Amino acid sequence: MSNNNPYIPMPVQISKIINEVDTNDIKTFRFTFLNKEDEQNFKYMPGQFAELSIYGKGESPIGIASSPTDPGYVEFTVSRAGTIVPGLVTAALHDMNEGAQIGLRGPLGNPWPIEFLEKKNIVMASGGFAFTTLRSLINYMLHKDNRNRFGEITLIYGARNPGLLLYKDELAAWEKRDDIKSFITVDKGDDTWSGRQGNVPAVCKEVAPSPKNTVAVICGPPIMNKFTQPVFFDLGFSKENILTSLEMRMKCGIGKCGRCNVGYKYVCSDGPVFSLAELEELPRDF
Amino acid sequence: MLKKIAIEKISQLAAVLMEKGTLLAPVKEVSGHNFAEIKDPKQVDLDFYNTIMSPKGAFFPHKEDFVKYKIGKPLSEVEPAVLNLKPAFLFGVRPCDVKSFEIMDIHFDAAGIIDPYWRFRREATTIFGYAYDLSQPVDSADFYNTLGIYAADPEGSDIFMVKKDKELLLKAITKKGENLLPELTVLKDGITADEKYFTEYVNKGKEYKTRFMTLDQEVVAKKLEDIFDNTDFWTKMSAACLSCGICTFVCPTCYCFDICDDTLFGKGTRRRVWDACMFTDFTLEASGHNPRTQVYQRLRQKICHKYSYHIRKYGVISCVGCGRCTRHCPVNIDIYSIVEAALKA
Repeated sequence: MSNNNPYIPMPVQISKIINEVDTNDIKTFRFTFLNKEDEQNFKYMPGQFAELSIYGKGESPIGIASSPTDPGYVEFTVSRAGTIVPGLVTAALHDMNEGAQIGLRGPLGNPWPIEFLEKKNIVMASGGFAFTTLRSLINYMLHKDNRNRFGEITLIYGARNPGLLLYKDELAAWEKRDDIKSFITVDKGDDTWSGRQGNVPAVCKEVAPSPKNTVAVICGPPIMNKFTQPVFFDLGFSKENILTSLEMRMKCGIGKCGRCNVGYKYVCSDGPVFSLAELEELPRDF
Repeated sequence: MLKKIAIEKISQLAAVLMEKGTLLAPVKEVSGHNFAEIKDPKQVDLDFYNTIMSPKGAFFPHKEDFVKYKIGKPLSEVEPAVLNLKPAFLFGVRPCDVKSFEIMDIHFDAAGIIDPYWRFRREATTIFGYAYDLSQPVDSADFYNTLGIYAADPEGSDIFMVKKDKELLLKAITKKGENLLPELTVLKDGITADEKYFTEYVNKGKEYKTRFMTLDQEVVAKKLEDIFDNTDFWTKMSAACLSCGICTFVCPTCYCFDICDDTLFGKGTRRRVWDACMFTDFTLEASGHNPRTQVYQRLRQKICHKYSYHIRKYGVISCVGCGRCTRHCPVNIDIYSIVEAALKA
């Protein structure tokens, strides 16, 4: 990181902004590094996050949505917060245009456990906005250099309505591929929607693969997680083979500021990726 | 190596240390003593029991500037704060507080990413530990014996000081202390009787009793895990708590901080400031979700962090029994009694 000081962000420039949803409150920001050295040092893997830093507003920990197999830039999909508490950083970011500069600290936290996933089948269940670091994982696994390291890949991804699905172009492209089974669903379709309807837990029940040599990655809003986990338990998945990613309020992102603990683990530096077996050891304090 | 100086000449020693670097020592303030950067050698006052605030601020100040920025200017114009890395002398630290630095070292300087501010300040600082005055009664809030710390433990200090009548004996404990002590020319050489007195004083410190309970780290860590969901217990323990956070601010081992941007007229400073798990917005997420909205959840977090999570994470209890949180709590909440009650719950 810049100046070898983990608290000081490196400068990046917004090179592209993609409006992901009809409601205009979720955008993907592509950043390029202003210093070549920072770009080389920013070695990340899917599942990690970074602090987006805007002087005068603050910092926000956001999961990395791009894959390291796409070099030269790094992407974050950011929801504009502020309906309940003021989301200063995300609002400022949403009001920025391409070309603007912000700060970036990272990569932070632990990635999805790639070595553990290797040679196994992977089933991902995700909903709404919690999909971002799984998009990174999918693009990483589907890359031609990596695809044969993994078994069958299944994706079950849903949103409340078609307009709220993220990465629509990529979803369409994945549906055409034969090396990923993707099941895209919405709670309620509209006139233009010809795909599946139904919530994620129901679709999982219908299409999830056998637990044999398979790891499930569940990453959705709390209500989706709550109803999806039992589906996988019923299918025979063990707690060790169900992974998720936690969120807590964070500041430093490096396990120092004491804010994001769940029991003796800091979500930032010990997580954010946990298996349900690991979570079971911790108090329900999140 | 043992040296000595008359206590009435302590300002001469202070003056020598001030020539060599920054001197942080107890000074008398309106409501008690606190560590402060000494501007006038006469300020140093060793006639104190313990300071109101812990000395952690010497390494982890209440406010730590990271950068200065200007709104609307390119990030290349951001100026990182310059750390004052002059040698520093932290003078008159009680043994339980000295112990707190070792606990904080694990967090800031040995686990994961290193905190540069803590490390640089720690490296630049020589610690003058100071035994409690064994002729004075112990404060009823203190319980450092419970944590295996005694009133005259020299361990962790670079130079350790004990009071002998109207003199102050100074003994080098570490290499850093041994290098510094001969340079302090205002000091006189100790004689054999002083050496004997010093050794006896350190031993006598073990008989200077604070509150004590037998505490097995593994047992207390496990017990607190077991009663995490005992809401009745935690509600009762926190019934009087005002969530004011004073316990965390005076604590030598509380390290939670916030990072804030302080902007005025287009110019600003990003800095970290102490924060407290006792505040409700400590864990308030931008989504509106907050896992600790209730007072009992926050007091539980504080107790469990110190006496369970920290043991699991770093192998030590994050408490030195200095008694500050108990002394300064406006509603007389006592961490010792809570741990005692938890073990019986």
